[in-house]
This record gives sequence, structure tokens and C-alpha cells, in this order.
Amino acid sequence: MTANTPDKPDEESVLLAFSVEPQHDRETLARYLREYPEHTNALIDCTLELRMDAVRVDAADMSAVNADAVVDKARQRFQALLTEPGGVSVSNPFGKLNRAGYKSLASKLYISNLLLIRLRDRAIDAASIPARFVDGLAAELGASAEAVMDYLRSPPAIVSGQSFRSSVKPKVGDQMSFAQAIETSQLSPEQQNALKALMVE
Amino acid sequence: MPEPLKKKGLDGQSYTRPPEIEAWITRLEDFDVSDRLTQFEILTKRSRDYVPSEVLIYFLRRSWASGARSEFDAIFRALALRVERSLLFTISDARMAGALAIREDISGRFFECIAKDCTGRAGLLDFFEIRFDKAFAAIRTSALRQIGPSAANTVPIGTDDGDGLEISDEVEHAASDFLSGDPSKLDDPAFRLELTAAIDTLPSDQKRVMELLRQGFQIDSKDNNVMTIARILQCDERTVRNRRDRACKVLKAVLQQEDVL
Repeated sequence: MTANTPDKPDEESVLLAFSVEPQHDRETLARYLREYPEHTNALIDCTLELRMDAVRVDAADMSAVNADAVVDKARQRFQALLTEPGGVSVSNPFGKLNRAGYKSLASKLYISNLLLIRLRDRAIDAASIPARFVDGLAAELGASAEAVMDYLRSPPAIVSGQSFRSSVKPKVGDQMSFAQAIETSQLSPEQQNALKALMVE
Repeated sequence: MPEPLKKKGLDGQSYTRPPEIEAWITRLEDFDVSDRLTQFEILTKRSRDYVPSEVLIYFLRRSWASGARSEFDAIFRALALRVERSLLFTISDARMAGALAIREDISGRFFECIAKDCTGRAGLLDFFEIRFDKAFAAIRTSALRQIGPSAANTVPIGTDDGDGLEISDEVEHAASDFLSGDPSKLDDPAFRLELTAAIDTLPSDQKRVMELLRQGFQIDSKDNNVMTIARILQCDERTVRNRRDRACKVLKAVLQQEDVL
């Protein structure tokens, strides 16, 4: 989530307020579009998503889902956010970015938004990220490479074991290697090749 | 008596829970904790004993505030499973590529809302106590805009709709046929489902034009006070018509294939 100020609520806050309106008709949408023109596309997208919900048939099959694994992962994420000193995004070099900023940064780095989000969420093993990539990321973020590396090195999630009971031993949240992230982050073949080239330098 | 919500709306008034949610809370407050938790475990909305997720959020916050950690853990578990279930059908593997990673990002945003609430940093959970599914649709929308398929594919096929580009007669006729179709079809839930699902597959710019048309906005107007689609999307009315016509051509083909037209 991006930073929020009293005068300019961020996209997620505006969409949440819009979502709980009793109606999502033209009048309500027009009211929000007038109030938050900077979130026009998001509001229209939200209207469509709400419309999808209204017609969607709940046919989810949980039989193949490992409930304990789902819950453990959720707890890890929650616990990490809870125990992070100083707040969720204060020490986060990505914290100042809004949606347009993310897109712009992804474009400058020639990577997908998904790979950028995974870096932000420290879902990638920092040791596997090429130094040249970190340098480029730091330069675009306006931070030092050391500061960005410190952030990327900090654990994605730690279960303290005190707040939650679990059948699984508490551990650092699952991370993937940079190579795995390249394969699974909706990158074009050209983007993948460019990143792989950084790994062999 | 449930504790009032703190968040205030655009009109400066505090938000309130729907009466049915207040009634659920009041009723469950009389239950033993263990009985209440057992009822929270029901995942299927079709079940008569299913408790709305808004109610789970209320008791989750209350258990955190009172230090009832084992109760908090149990409710957190029930919510995590509900969120997983919801995401499995709203962000299904069949709907979009990379669905697993997108589901993880969305659930992460929800747990971030809880974490912030627990540490007194934001009151976003109030929204989830009012209309959980709709609030969840809001964070899903925001996540999809950042890392969804349309965000990943920066130039979707078929979005070349510059102002000077003329639309072909064939596309214009297809759009006209589609839009002048039998309006009573929209009363048919099966048709609405197919139509909405088909619109969801369109490029974002066409999707938005179709949604605004469905909301009843007009494309253009000489009256500067009228909020038109061209003004909302800040583009030329010809661009809006081009997007509409292209979308209609695709929708007609898709719906004919599905045999619902």
C-alpha cells in the first residue's frame, strides 16, 4: 500500500470507501469521480470488479488446498508486518512509490510489475540478486546500494511462536532465488534474457 | 452492544455496520467462545450457520484488543481460509496467467490491513466490518491494477485507438448490432454472467468504456456540465467510440461462441 495523507487518500483507501457504498450506480460513481479524479481508472475498474462479484458463482474447490500451509503463510506475513520496527513502510525504500511510480520503475528497470512487487516484499533471496541489478534499483530509488541491500536482506517473515500455535516449526518465510523469480514473474523472453545476462557477469 | 466504528465517510459521518451485521454480533456475544469459534469455521456461505466475515473481523479486533490471543489465532485462521477460498474463485488460474502470485499479493494486502489495525496505524478494517466482500474486491482491484495481467502486458493487443484512426464499417456494424440487441437479455442471469466475464477479457481501455456505457454515461455532450465518458477518460469522443466499437465486435463474437446471443 502506498503512503496516505489526510488531504490525498491513496488509491486503496478511496476504493475501500467506494466499495462499502450502498449502491455502485452512476450517481455514486460520478460522485467519486468528481471527488477523486486522480483515481478515475481505479474507480471504474473497481465498479467492474464489483459487478463481476455480483454475477460470479462460488465454485471454489478447497479439497486440494493444504489448510495448515495457507494459514502458516498468512501468519508469517502478518507477524512480519506486526513486528517490523517503525511501521510497515517507513524503512522500506519502495514506500514512497505510488502505482504510477511502480510502473515507471518497472519500466526503467525493464522488468515486470510482479518482479518489482516480489523484490519489495523480499520474496527473493537477496544473496541471489546480481549486484549490478541492485545498483540499478538503488539508483532509480534514489537510495544507496547498501541501504537497498540491507532492506532486501531483512527477512520476509518470522513467526515468533508465541502468538500462534502451529504444527509447523516457525521459520523464515519462503523465498525464491532470483533465477526462479525470473522464470515466474510474467517477464517477456527478452526481459528474462537481459536479467539472466546480469547473473553471469 | 457492539462498539461503534471510528472511520468517517466523505460526509463526515461515522460509518455504521449494516443492521444484520449488528444483529449477528449481538447474538454471538452471548455464545461461549468455543461455540462461537466453531461456527466461524464454516466456510460455505450456503450453510445455514455460516457467519458473515464482517462479524469475524469484529471479534478478531476485539480479541486482539483484550489480549485473548488464542481466540485471535482461531479467528485469524478462519479468515485466512475464507480469503484463500474467495481468491481461488475470483482469481482463478483459468481467469489469468500468474494467478498464484497475484492471489498471494492480495492476501498479503489484507493481512497488512490487519497488522496495521493491530498496531493502531490505520482504521481500514472498519470497511471490512461493513461489507467484507466488497472491501475485499477493492483491494483486489488495486492489486490487479499493479500486478494483474493488464498491468503486466503494457500494450494489450487491440488498443491502438488513436484519434485519427478510422474504424471499419464491419466493426461499426457489429457494435451497432450488439448494442441494439434484445435489452431483456440483461435480465437473464446467465447472459449477465457471460457478458460480464466477456467484458473482463477485454483490454483495460475498452473495458472501462463498456463499464461506463453500462452505467448509463453518455459518450459526449455539448453541455459542459454533463459528465461524459470522453470527459471522464480525458480523450476524444471518437476514441471512445472506437474503443466501444472494437469491444462490441469482440463481445459479439465471444457471446455467439458461447451461444448466448
